[in-house]
Amino acid sequence: MAGGGTLGAGRERAKRGKPSKRKKKKRVGFVLDMTPLVDIAFLLLTFFMFTTTMTTPQIMQMFIPPDPTDVEVKMSELFTLRVRGDDKVFYNPGIDEPQLVLLKDLKKMMVEANIKLKNRLITVLKVDDNASYDVVIKVLDELNLAEADITPALLKDFNLPRERRFTIAPMTEKDLEEIKPL
Amino acid sequence: MSKVKMKRTGFVLDMTPLVDIAFLLLTFFMFTAKFKSEAESEQKFQIKRPKASADTSKIPDKNLAIIKIAIDSANIGDTSYYYEMTNEKDRAVVYATAKGIDDAQRLKMQIKATLPNLEELVQETRIQNPSTKFAIDADKRIRFKWLNDCMDVMRKKKATAFNLVTDKKQGM
Repeated sequence: MAGGGTLGAGRERAKRGKPSKRKKKKRVGFVLDMTPLVDIAFLLLTFFMFTTTMTTPQIMQMFIPPDPTDVEVKMSELFTLRVRGDDKVFYNPGIDEPQLVLLKDLKKMMVEANIKLKNRLITVLKVDDNASYDVVIKVLDELNLAEADITPALLKDFNLPRERRFTIAPMTEKDLEEIKPL
Repeated sequence: MSKVKMKRTGFVLDMTPLVDIAFLLLTFFMFTAKFKSEAESEQKFQIKRPKASADTSKIPDKNLAIIKIAIDSANIGDTSYYYEMTNEKDRAVVYATAKGIDDAQRLKMQIKATLPNLEELVQETRIQNPSTKFAIDADKRIRFKWLNDCMDVMRKKKATAFNLVTDKKQGM
């Protein structure tokens, strides 16, 4: 064994009594056959790799109004979005004429309209029965994305917490008439 | 001098780093793995979910009732509703008490439902466990009518808050 002098003070105790004659044998060349272990590990690894799906579905929260009750709102605070049977989206603020809008412009428009009216804007979505569900989700997604811009803008400019007012309403005959010729 | 073929006995390769990495990956995949529910493995259709931008909200897995609107893979163009519940205890009660359901379907995980069936199922679910969350998992190719009818059912049964199941849009 190495002399006590070179070791730290804590080791002094071990030197008491009979000096140990046993030489510490370094276990050089100790090998363990790890092949079966690796086999199983890789088997499990491949199994889990193939069975996992990385994309977990996510959700989009929806709140629908309970039984249709008549609530009086100002027309000027309404923002109507209509999706026609051929998946075209139309918008009209208040009582304006409906206009065609492209999905990519929708977000910008929503942000502007909302900031102008500071939380009072009510977005109404009306969808034709024949429109595809995919487009509806795309519209809802754009509306959700717009929220991310509206909330900080309102807070910064007017110090207002965002209160979202959105509803999904049934498409009436009158609605259909209005967007038919467009 | 004759060459003696040396047999390479006792050839060892240090596999420790290999095993380290293998186990690291193994544990990673084991913990992230999520298995298909029993109901999903018995269903005969596949839902192509619509894509929405990335969101942190994940689908809750406790006390969830899912209404699936799917296009049958056997007859393209045939859309139908399916009802599924994750809570087994509630499911047993709801499936047993809901009226108007084909008896053969009562023991299944997933019920193929018509609109009146759905209404009954939603109602029973709300009675059995009012904290049940609802989700609508619809194929993106369906017409909005199917969803609208479904929402009417939910509205009638006062389940006005629900979730629409979507997939994450890639590359965002």
